Amino acid sequence: MQRRSLLAGFGAALASPALHAQTLTRASLRLKWLPQAQFAGFYLAKAKAKGYYAAEGIDLTINPGGPNLLTENLVATGADTFGLSGGTDSVFAARDKGLPIICVGVAHQVTPFFFVTRADGPIKTLADFRGKNLTAWFTGANYVLLGMLAQAGLRAGDFNLQPQQVSVTPFIEGQTDVVTATKYNEFYTLVSRMGRDKLRTFVAEDYGITFPRDTLIVGEAIAKEKPELVKGFLRASMKGWREALAEPKLGVDTVMGIAPTLNREHQEFMLTEIGKLMLAGKAAREGLFWIDQDAIKSAHDFLLRYEVIKQPINLATAYDRSFLDAIALADRRA
Amino acid sequence: MMQLRALLRGVVGLLLAALLWEGAVLALHIRPEYLPRLSTILAAMAATPGAYWDGFLRTLAETLLGFAAGGFVGVLNGVIFLRLPALRDMLFPIFIVSQTIPVIAFGALVVLWFGNTLLAKAVIAFYLTFFPVTVNTLLGLNAVDPRQVALLRSFGAGPGTILRRLQLPAALPQIFVALRLAASLSLVGAIVGEWFGDTIGLGVLLLQAMYNENVVSLWAAILCAAVLGTGFYAVVAYAERRIVFWGAEQ
Repeated sequence: MQRRSLLAGFGAALASPALHAQTLTRASLRLKWLPQAQFAGFYLAKAKAKGYYAAEGIDLTINPGGPNLLTENLVATGADTFGLSGGTDSVFAARDKGLPIICVGVAHQVTPFFFVTRADGPIKTLADFRGKNLTAWFTGANYVLLGMLAQAGLRAGDFNLQPQQVSVTPFIEGQTDVVTATKYNEFYTLVSRMGRDKLRTFVAEDYGITFPRDTLIVGEAIAKEKPELVKGFLRASMKGWREALAEPKLGVDTVMGIAPTLNREHQEFMLTEIGKLMLAGKAAREGLFWIDQDAIKSAHDFLLRYEVIKQPINLATAYDRSFLDAIALADRRA
Repeated sequence: MMQLRALLRGVVGLLLAALLWEGAVLALHIRPEYLPRLSTILAAMAATPGAYWDGFLRTLAETLLGFAAGGFVGVLNGVIFLRLPALRDMLFPIFIVSQTIPVIAFGALVVLWFGNTLLAKAVIAFYLTFFPVTVNTLLGLNAVDPRQVALLRSFGAGPGTILRRLQLPAALPQIFVALRLAASLSLVGAIVGEWFGDTIGLGVLLLQAMYNENVVSLWAAILCAAVLGTGFYAVVAYAERRIVFWGAEQ
């Protein structure tokens, strides 16, 4: 008994960060990955010197993600209030399974990854993928690749597609012909080890496919009961992002203050690329986190065609733009 | 004197390994993506010592907490199961089932239940350690010669005295075998636990370096984990030598 209370006391002492102002609403944001420039705006908005979340009455805890965490599950169970989850694909999957989460904003307006080959290699067009060794993440990127190749008349069996592991070294070593890379992370490794001019890229949007990713999600109940919390969270996040993109050094400094072992050069590269992804398409006009219904529908129909989702999803419910619409355009724009 | 000499030999061995590492990378032109020079790794650690030190302490705390809880509960389980064989028959299968769940799956649940707390990592370390300790304690307790138990009983010793004076001391060598195993397992548990979303810890540094293909940071984190693991194991082995002076394996 004593041991249990001791353990519980210890746990509570560790779990609760010192003091909380009574007037602030406690909330948490679960990121999709560990601290890096991909999330600079959120960290900047939370930084003591800025305090944008506090100004909106929110005491926000930022919880990093990891390789085995599903943000949708954590938000659906209420373990986290908000989530920056995988993307339109993972939101579809969650709604398909009946998880009570909705998307209230989309960070990356276009597909954040592309497919990379050697510039001096035999692959010049999609048709040249025939008979080659390709790797892609089997968490959605594989369907994008299959969709692109289908347009070139290639189907499964015409090429050797394998799940991609953490490292892009097999591609650099010449063991594979095509590798999947996010524009902000793996591509940095490829460019720094091979040189930009040695690389050719195949972009989904060039083939009419688009996969907006890094979706902001919240539980249905919270969206209904505390719309002001959702709006306040979005407003503060936009403010943080606007500054992180305008002053990349400040953004990178903030992130590196939290994770000092990161490579600064890589983080600067990352923030630049993330900025491009966040301001692509309609976001340039409509502002940060814009939900582009056409792009969502395109991704939805694509996954439906590949039977990744079993039945059509009510997009108006799953992607709720009312919170964004309630924020003045001037406050949304980066 | 003997111990000092052994320690000295260990240090010389480490230095030789370090020299060999540095020399081999230089002489064989091993590319830094495969194996960076030891000096590069140490320089990276010296550049941001705070991050590594904080990570070291955090992972150490999780490891110790999980180890202590796992060791305590394991020994307690062993004693209870010795006294109540019926309970053992009921619970043992459940324990075994629990141990067949991959720790990765278990980790996702622990985050749901405990959030990103130090406790969550300690729970995973505990989960990996309590079972080997339980099994070994029970094994050690059961191996006590029943004639010795009968002798003590004939002198009027109660069950508590028999446990304290005979059964537990006799089981100690077995228990320490499990504790040495638990020392390594609890570190694994703590590091795996950190892969489920955290900002501080050696596991976090490992993960960050791995996915950024930052090989120097990766090695730096590996070295820290090795120091922690070896150090902790050494402490447990030292305690074993001091406590079980009559029958330790080493």
